[in-house]
Amino acid sequence: MPSWQDFQPFIVTGLALGGVYALSGVGLVVLYRATGVVYLAFGAVGAMGALIAWSVTNAHVQAWVGWLACLLFSGAVTLGYGMLFGPALSKRDPLVKATATLGLLLVLFGLMDLLWTTSGGQSRAITLPTDNSGFIIGQIQVTWTQVIGLAAGFAITAVTGAFLRYTKLGTAMRAMANDREITATLGVPVRRVEAAAWLGCGLLAGLAGLLLADMVALDATTLTFLVISALAAALIGRLRSITLTLAAAIVIGLVQNLLVPIPSLSNYNDMTPFVLAATALLVLSRRHVIARSREET
Amino acid sequence: MHERASNTCGKVALVATVGMFALASCSSSPSPSGGSGTPSANSSATSSPAVVSASQCGTKPGVVATGTPITLGGIVTNQPGTSFTDIANMANAYFTCVNDNGGIKGHPIKYNIETEQTNPAQIAGEAKQLVQTDHVVGIVGNTSIIECSIDSSYWQKLGYDIIDSGIAPECWSTPNSAAVNMGPRYSSDGAVQYALAQHVTKIVFDQSNVPGTGYIAAGPAALAAAAKVPIVQLTENVPITDASSVALKEVDDAGPNGAVVLNFTPPEALVILQAAQKLGIEDRVKLWGCSTPCNTDFLAQSLGPKWNNKLFVNAELTPPDSTSTPTMQLYEAILKQYGKAVSGGIGSFSQMGFTEAEIAVHALETITGAYTVASVNAAFKAVANYNTGMLCQLWTYGSYAMHIPNNEDYTVTPNNGKMVTAQGCTKISSVDPQIAEYRKLAGVAALAP
Amino acid sequence: MLDTADARTGGRRQFRLRRPGPGTLVRAAVVTGLLLILLFAAPALLSAYYVDSMTQVAVYAMLAIGLGLLVGRVGLVSLGQIAVFAIGAWVTARLLFATSQPYPLVLLEAGASTMAVGTLVGLPALRLRGLYLALITLMLAGAFSIVLATTNFPNGGHGFLGYNGSSVHIPPIRRPSIATTDPAYFRYAVAVAALMFALVYAHIRTRPGRAWIAIRQSEPAAIAAGINTTMYKLWAFALASFITGVAGGIYAGAVHFLYSIDFPAQDSIILLAVVLMGGVYSMWGAIVAALLLQLLPALLNDWGVSADWLTILFGVGVLQVLTTAPAGLADQVPKDLARLGRLILRSTGPRHRQGVSEHDRG
Repeated sequence: MPSWQDFQPFIVTGLALGGVYALSGVGLVVLYRATGVVYLAFGAVGAMGALIAWSVTNAHVQAWVGWLACLLFSGAVTLGYGMLFGPALSKRDPLVKATATLGLLLVLFGLMDLLWTTSGGQSRAITLPTDNSGFIIGQIQVTWTQVIGLAAGFAITAVTGAFLRYTKLGTAMRAMANDREITATLGVPVRRVEAAAWLGCGLLAGLAGLLLADMVALDATTLTFLVISALAAALIGRLRSITLTLAAAIVIGLVQNLLVPIPSLSNYNDMTPFVLAATALLVLSRRHVIARSREET
Repeated sequence: MHERASNTCGKVALVATVGMFALASCSSSPSPSGGSGTPSANSSATSSPAVVSASQCGTKPGVVATGTPITLGGIVTNQPGTSFTDIANMANAYFTCVNDNGGIKGHPIKYNIETEQTNPAQIAGEAKQLVQTDHVVGIVGNTSIIECSIDSSYWQKLGYDIIDSGIAPECWSTPNSAAVNMGPRYSSDGAVQYALAQHVTKIVFDQSNVPGTGYIAAGPAALAAAAKVPIVQLTENVPITDASSVALKEVDDAGPNGAVVLNFTPPEALVILQAAQKLGIEDRVKLWGCSTPCNTDFLAQSLGPKWNNKLFVNAELTPPDSTSTPTMQLYEAILKQYGKAVSGGIGSFSQMGFTEAEIAVHALETITGAYTVASVNAAFKAVANYNTGMLCQLWTYGSYAMHIPNNEDYTVTPNNGKMVTAQGCTKISSVDPQIAEYRKLAGVAALAP
Repeated sequence: MLDTADARTGGRRQFRLRRPGPGTLVRAAVVTGLLLILLFAAPALLSAYYVDSMTQVAVYAMLAIGLGLLVGRVGLVSLGQIAVFAIGAWVTARLLFATSQPYPLVLLEAGASTMAVGTLVGLPALRLRGLYLALITLMLAGAFSIVLATTNFPNGGHGFLGYNGSSVHIPPIRRPSIATTDPAYFRYAVAVAALMFALVYAHIRTRPGRAWIAIRQSEPAAIAAGINTTMYKLWAFALASFITGVAGGIYAGAVHFLYSIDFPAQDSIILLAVVLMGGVYSMWGAIVAALLLQLLPALLNDWGVSADWLTILFGVGVLQVLTTAPAGLADQVPKDLARLGRLILRSTGPRHRQGVSEHDRG
């Protein structure tokens, strides 16, 4: 059993990884609360945005233009998807709505491999200016990018929570999550609120894509299916509470990395999000918490 | 009204999206950021002007071959994240050059490339396609994670002797496959051997968790055991999601006088090394090693000067940057003129493709009479002590039960954006039982002049 | 007649429960005819490459009918079928290496193991509804793929796992003694697939089928009508798992070599997408799905077209199916063809229908 000293550096990297999961997880929960859609294409949209940012930078344009392009792309595609397919599927079961986003995932996934071909042995990378500066905790170098990853998770949770609670648009989103029809009859412009939710989620997907591309890898497959691990955090938060999602994401990141120095468990550490989510789902189903609608209590 | 408004919003979004695609497709050239890995059109900027023209690839410069074609085939992996098409495309470039300059006694070579996505049924089917539908007389240039395992008995049954760049164990352990490269096990041997020669007290060998990890690990394990140095064997699931923990784990296990040796594809190896640098832990071990895939200028550039003489990469093929022999110039000339489809440019992949095609053409030119499966494969097998100009040794196929014709290597290290030679041709140690067995069967291979 | 208008999926489908009439007999004749052509004519007419692809079509037809049964008949979505497929292949490989049992017995054992796994997973998981059931199967499949990456598939080694990592010569998984060549194995695979389809058909026509329809229409109503919904849902899970396990066994014999990288969790997502495209309400849909999953990529590879276009097509297909054609291609194409036929008939129909004819006008 490794010593406390051996575990310490993995706490730092675990927190950074948790921040990564939190970014995507919170984005997923926000959209689900507003539209009832589990946006499984979240990772794919972010990945393609990151690849666009890479292309822009590779064409020797200023980096910030690339980041802007990434955010615009992710926002536009998500908004476009929401407006094109949202109304057609609005009355359907959440399962159908989630499956439909798989369609978007597959389209983007195919496009990414077509447009950004795998070239023999070489790879693409996104670098942010914060990658090369940082500080030392204990004996480990912590980069500002990692700090931003973690802080973004917290910030987005706080801002989104405040937004949903204290603004008119946010309240409208919560009302729509309760019951779309009644909210419409109350005179709330549901289409516009939905559009705002989709756009917001899309921008989040772009931001997450950039940070993940920097912190993990700029690889279409990795980034697209990282959403499954982020979904684990969202599921533990019952697709409802963004605070719980954030907490779950941090826990998953920590546990996943703290298993690394333990030789017998090291190879299985990637299972952490899946095992924790499955356990949480089963435990919560015993109390029939999930069988209810997605209303808030 | 609502519908129209949302339709307009939808249309705007769609136009914006299309615009983004256009922007992306305009600027996403196949070559990733920087490096000498630029498409062939720009390669003249990286090397001195070739004094050898591409037309020297054939026996009759300028004469286009118009006889009945000699059909060859090759199977390479091409899936998201792993693509060996550069190897086949370079071989094709060589063949096209030969076709433009006399062919094989006037016969052009027709090269059928099949790509696969690591799907056993697909790979078996493609082998049959090549034989039964395309009627190929020889197989050259196979580079696949699993093809050797799957098709080996099929090729044996039909009498095909493959010239390939191997990966799976069967590429080296069967009588009918001879590779121009050393593959993950023997290349890792080379990297570990270099680390042991620097008197490290512990080795951490980490590799990607793809088929054959045990076979690959056995080589380094044997070398470390013979040197009485403890070795820790690790594997990582790829793609790696958390390179920081991987780097930390490796450094912790190796200790200050230890070495970390990696066996990953370049993107994964790069991610680990960069994570180590970001964490500031790259100096916490005595040295870092890597098998051949790391040998690209792209990696050297992405890593930066901190890794000069810190990372030692086993190089299976002669480093192009520090060599200016006629063969190397021919390679660069062919790449420039015919290698538009080779997206990686100058590097080990295109070098392997060049070497395989070179050997095949050399063998084909010795054939008198008809070009049949029997005659072509007999010619391949008869290749002996051939100077490819790309390897440390002379290359021999031979009628042995197993083949490791390339068993001597260079070691390179990054130096301000390029890979430079750190150690010249060094034999892989016979402590690896497979190497020992091959040397016994074949006799010790001679050194290149 | 039971009108099973499913409010959740928005599709309307009439299921007639009646005695076998002339229509059924015609259908049976068509199916038998097609089967005979497949078994005897296809291997002779197709090249070896396509015979191999069609063997894969047979395997994936079984996968598709299993998932289609869950989604279409009972309304349960599982995103973990590839994990079950992998387990079936694993058990088959282990038994074939370790024993000399006859092939059919090994297949049954593989199916029984996956059936057990499916039931064990279903017992707690089926308490979850719709979306959450799908997501928990996705999570379990993700966890399984990590375990598989470490345990690998049996390759002739010793011990429980039967995996020899340092092997320089991996032995192939054997085939049944009556079907060692590729054309013969193709026939074997088609025969097994036909058996599985018959098994599903038998279920649909009898009590479980009716219970599943009732559950899919409205679970509370089914409970109120006295149907043991838990048992029937488990039964569906068990049946689908059994068939998927057998499919894994046939796959193992087809490819001879199994690798964990060939069973990624995301393949379950693509399987669901294509099964939806093919159509989950008809058994033909499973065949359409299998052709899309295995024959179409083989064709595209042969023509040099990138497989990415297929991924995009599947994505578009899913969106189209869910928004406009819930019953999938198997339902939509015949309807579209019928509509086209009617259009042609109308435009070239007899003139007397239009009132005074041109001839009368003189």
